[in-house]
This record gives sequence, structure tokens and C-alpha cells, in this order.
Amino acid sequence: MLREDGLLAQRFDKLLIANRGEIAMRILRACHELGIRTVAVYSDADRNAPHVRFADEAYYIGPPPARESYLIAEKILEVARESGAEAIHPGYGFLSERAEFAQACVDAGIVFVGPPARAIATMGDKLVARSTAIAAGVPVVPGTQPGLSDEEMAAAAIEMGFPVLVKAAAGGGGKGMRPVHRAEDLADAFSAARREALAAFGDDTVYIEKMITESRHIEIQLLADVYGNTIYLGERECSLQRRHQKLIEESPSFVVDEDLRRRMGEVAVAAAKAVDYVNAGTIEFLVDRDRNFYFLEMNTRLQVEHPVTELVTGTDIVQEQLRVARGRRLRLQQEDVRIQGWAIECRINAEDPYNNYMPSTGAITSIQLPTGPGVRVDTGVVSGSEISPYYDSMISKLICYGETRAEVVMRMRRALEEYRIMGVKTNIPFHQHMMDSHRFLSGQFDTKFVEDRFTMDDRDAPHTMEAALLAVLAAHERSQRAGQIVAPGERDTSNWKWYSRWERLRR
Amino acid sequence: MKYIATVKDKEFTVNINSDGQITIDDEPYDVNFRQLLSGGVTSLLLDHRSISAVVDEHGDDWEVLIEGELYNVKVQDERSYRLGQQRSHGAGVDGEAIISSPMPGIIVAVPVKEGEQVQSGDKVVILESMKMENELRAPCDGVVTHVNVVAGASVEKDQALVTISPLED
Repeated sequence: MLREDGLLAQRFDKLLIANRGEIAMRILRACHELGIRTVAVYSDADRNAPHVRFADEAYYIGPPPARESYLIAEKILEVARESGAEAIHPGYGFLSERAEFAQACVDAGIVFVGPPARAIATMGDKLVARSTAIAAGVPVVPGTQPGLSDEEMAAAAIEMGFPVLVKAAAGGGGKGMRPVHRAEDLADAFSAARREALAAFGDDTVYIEKMITESRHIEIQLLADVYGNTIYLGERECSLQRRHQKLIEESPSFVVDEDLRRRMGEVAVAAAKAVDYVNAGTIEFLVDRDRNFYFLEMNTRLQVEHPVTELVTGTDIVQEQLRVARGRRLRLQQEDVRIQGWAIECRINAEDPYNNYMPSTGAITSIQLPTGPGVRVDTGVVSGSEISPYYDSMISKLICYGETRAEVVMRMRRALEEYRIMGVKTNIPFHQHMMDSHRFLSGQFDTKFVEDRFTMDDRDAPHTMEAALLAVLAAHERSQRAGQIVAPGERDTSNWKWYSRWERLRR
Repeated sequence: MKYIATVKDKEFTVNINSDGQITIDDEPYDVNFRQLLSGGVTSLLLDHRSISAVVDEHGDDWEVLIEGELYNVKVQDERSYRLGQQRSHGAGVDGEAIISSPMPGIIVAVPVKEGEQVQSGDKVVILESMKMENELRAPCDGVVTHVNVVAGASVEKDQALVTISPLED
């Protein structure tokens, strides 16, 4: 099926993954389960990455910076032609929300695993998305029109009252977004948001939105096929964020009851239908203290946090994406969707929670994954992987599932303890501290919680003495080994005697 | 052998005698320690309490990961510990703070100039890396004495960016 809005849905047997890291692995797995042959692409930084080895074929696309490799649409399309790939899955980030790229795929006769180009373009421009949402009867947050001067935006900000958000029209993932609490900070926010937006999206248009304080970020997962079936797979609670980067997501949300879920879901479906949406997508809402919800934006792609929805609904969203792109019907109707149990995801980032979450680069010297009941790890790194400064600091996702929220929190604590990554610093202690926090356990948090009211300063490192001892023992063994070579006279007994004593001690 | 292990501001004196008996700050402990074959994995039975850890060596600095928490431990034998003590007392610390790049990246902005007074926590460099702008802040009050980079420059890990000297009064 070829539609005039830039949608091509037809059978394919070979698919190119225009991405890297954990999401490339996720898509590769879904393809292998469906018997679809796979083509990976890699930059210089990723020759040794797992996704290259996991795929059936792999093609080099350029230097490490994304704008010289993963972001170059022509190179990706060239690889598709060369390899004979009949479809492209963009993952998230990179080319996933570029309408021109989706259209270019379709023009080349290649299935783009995602929505039609026009839907991406409409929802990708936040301002057009807003007016589309309003027209579809979806509640939105008060805000300004596009193309206003700094002075006009400042006047509007003063009129709607601080705090406000300066947002890039082309933005996403918190880039090009700045909260402003005082009129005198507006000028700085405009320039910072424009600079980030220009660098990230090549478009520096900004606008202003009223900031809803004490709000939660809750999103609805959608699936739509080419036959007009659009369903919602419940919600995800994504309020725990830092600098607009989500850190922990869960499904369901305890502020969403059956009635609110249905109302949010129906509104989300209406918004998707307004743009003839096809494939997986997400409508993000702000939910205020009184459980009013406002349309924030639509993410026209697979989300990082999709696994929590998969676990509580028993679906495989990526497989569903591939089926829809092949022109098949959704296997679920709305009445088949049941939310069962609870799932929480912790994003494991290479960053130091004790030092202002500074990114940490270097080689992973060893890695041990948590396992056991109810634990899923989606990761794109292995022992020996190099964490480079070129890409996102998220290296894996730890997802736990259980019957109740309390059970999942305990399971997550256990899994975080099991998870061992050496060579780079990770935010695992942040997640552990969150799992211990009273506010998290009782569900009392909003989108500002991490930044404003959460600190690592009160975290006790409970095993300081044991760590000291372990380092000494390791150092001692090293010096004993060295001592056998360079300084045999250092000890008063022979090495063999010492060694046998040491062995005896071990027994 | 007597070792001094330093973790942040805590010091532990660990003594391992020739019979392999171990005291920590003069308290005897029953210690059973194994280094497994791969990846720095270790097992410690400390008075039968089982502690599993990963230990990575970096010269005299050790990284120890226990239950998700990473500890940086400096291990010195008695002699080098004493030497270190003397050095830091003898030379005196001039208190100069060098802000260096924690990772490779691109300088977005340097909001301070040489000669400018800054307060602890002031932004001194904005570094873009891993697709995020990272703010490097002054660790102390003082005067900016050197600015080694300009906006747009690519920097390597540990490259010195800005030097701050404490105010003389």
C-alpha cells in the first residue's frame, strides 16, 4: 500500500537498522524472531559494537560524530540499496523523526518502519502539533504563537505569569528547552535554547509555554495499523527526569485510574487519528495536581521506555511495528488490552551521580548483568565496549516486572545490587537511592522532584571499610606476586611458606 | 605488612602479618579472600559475612564496586604514606584550582575572563559532550588566572581549561 501522505506498507524480508546501541539490539532481536534478515550500520566508533556482530550484515557509514554518519540520510539509503534492504527501522533519535528521511525512503521504494512522513512533519513542529491537537479537541497548555520577536514573547510571558518554558519549535528530549522564572532571565534562555536547537535540529525557532508546576509527565502508548485501527496500550509515568531527560519510567501510574486511563487514551487516539497516524507512537501529557491533563507533544517513533508497556500488556511493540509496516492488521483490539502487574525501568547512564551527573567516558572493563525472575536488561554494551563522547550516555535499561509496585521496587533494588559495571561511572547509586527514598516509595513526586528535592548527599556508602580492606588485599596480593620477583628478602618467611599459609587461611 | 587505605576522608590501617592474620585499625578479623579468574571479581568472607565485589587496579588507586556503589580507595604502605604526609606538610598547598575537562568535548562558552573574580559554584566553562551541555563550576572563591580555551575549541579529557587562584587578603 502506498499512500499520498508518504506511507508505504508492504511485505519485506530484509531490514536495515539505522541506529546503534541498545535500541539497535532491541530491533535486531525482534527481526530475528520474525525471520527478517538484518543489516546494521556503524561509524568508526562502533566497529566493535555488539549490534554489528548481532546483525546478518554490517556496513560502514563514516566517522564517529553522528552528523557525519548516523545522521546522513543519503548514506543510510545508499547502504539500503547496496544491501538490498527493503525496509528501514530508524529506532529513536538520529533520523527517526525526520519527515524528509521517511519520505526519501518511500520515494526509494523502501518501507519506513514508522508513521507517514506527513504525520511526522505535523507532529514534529510543536506549534503545528498544538493547533492540530486543539482542532482534535485535545486539551493543551497555554502558550504563544510561532515567529514572535523576543519582546513579544517577553510580553506574553509576563502576561501568562512566570514560570514559563522557552521551547524550540523543532525540539525534543529536552534539547532547546529552558525554564525561566524571572523576566530578566528570558534573554539568556532565548539564546541558549536557540543555540541548542540550531545545533541539534538545524532550526532555531522558539516559543513560550506556561509552565505547569507540580505536574507529572504521563504518556500514552499508541499502536495504529493502515486499516484505521488505533489502540492505546495504557500509560507510562515518566515524571522522574533531570534536565528533561527521563531517568525512571513505570507502568501503570498510580495517579491514573481506570476512568482517567480511558479518557487520556481516547484523547490520544483522537490526536493520532487527526494526522492519519500509523505504527507506534506516543502522546505525552502533563497531568496537574487535580488530574487535569494537557497535550504536550507526540513522539512519532518508538520510545526508549517502551519495555515497561510491553511487560504490563504482554505485547511486543517492536514486532507489532514490523507487522504494521508489512501491511498487516494489529493483532489486538482495544478491548483485548489488559494492564497486568507493574513494571519499572531504570535508565543506566554513564555518568557520576556524585559529581553533578557528569558524563563518564572510557572503556568498560567488566560487566555483569543482573538476572533472575522478573528482570530484563536491554543493553548495547559488553565488556570491552568503549563509551565515547559522541553518543548518548545511556548505555542500558534495567527493567523489572512484578505483581505489585512494592514487589517491583524490591526486585529493582536487588537487580541494581547485582548489576556491575566497571571502567566508567554509572548512575546506579542514583537509582538505588531513589528506590530507598520515601517520596518514591509513596509515589509523591513530580517532574521537578529529581532536580529540586532529591540529593545524593544524604546517601551513606555503607561498605567503606570493606572496600578499604578489599583494595588492601588486592594490593597485598599484587605486591606479594611482585615480591617474588624483585624483593625476595622483603618477608621473613619464604614465599612458599607464606603461600601455603595464605592457602590454609583461605580454606 | 601495614597498609593505610584512604576512602574519601576516611583512613583505615590494615595490618597483614606474616601468618596472614589481619587487623583493621587494630581490631582482628577473620578474613577469607579470593580473587576469581576474570574481570576483577572477588569474594570476601569477613567474619563469615559474604561480600562480593569487583576490584580494578590503577596503580595505588583502586576502584571497588560493592552492591552498586563505587569506592575509590588509595592504598599505601606505611613508608609511602609517611613520605606523602611529609610532602604535603612541607611544601604547603598553594590552593590553586585547575578546572580540567572531565571528558573529551567541545567548548560551548567560557563565561569568565582572566582577572575576573568568581565565587564557588559560578559557571566557568560550558562543555558539550554526549549531546548535552555540561556546566563546569568554580570549586572555590578566587580570581581567574588563566583561561586556556575559547568557545568552539575541541578538548581532550583532563585538558586544563581554566585556573582559579584563591584571593589574597
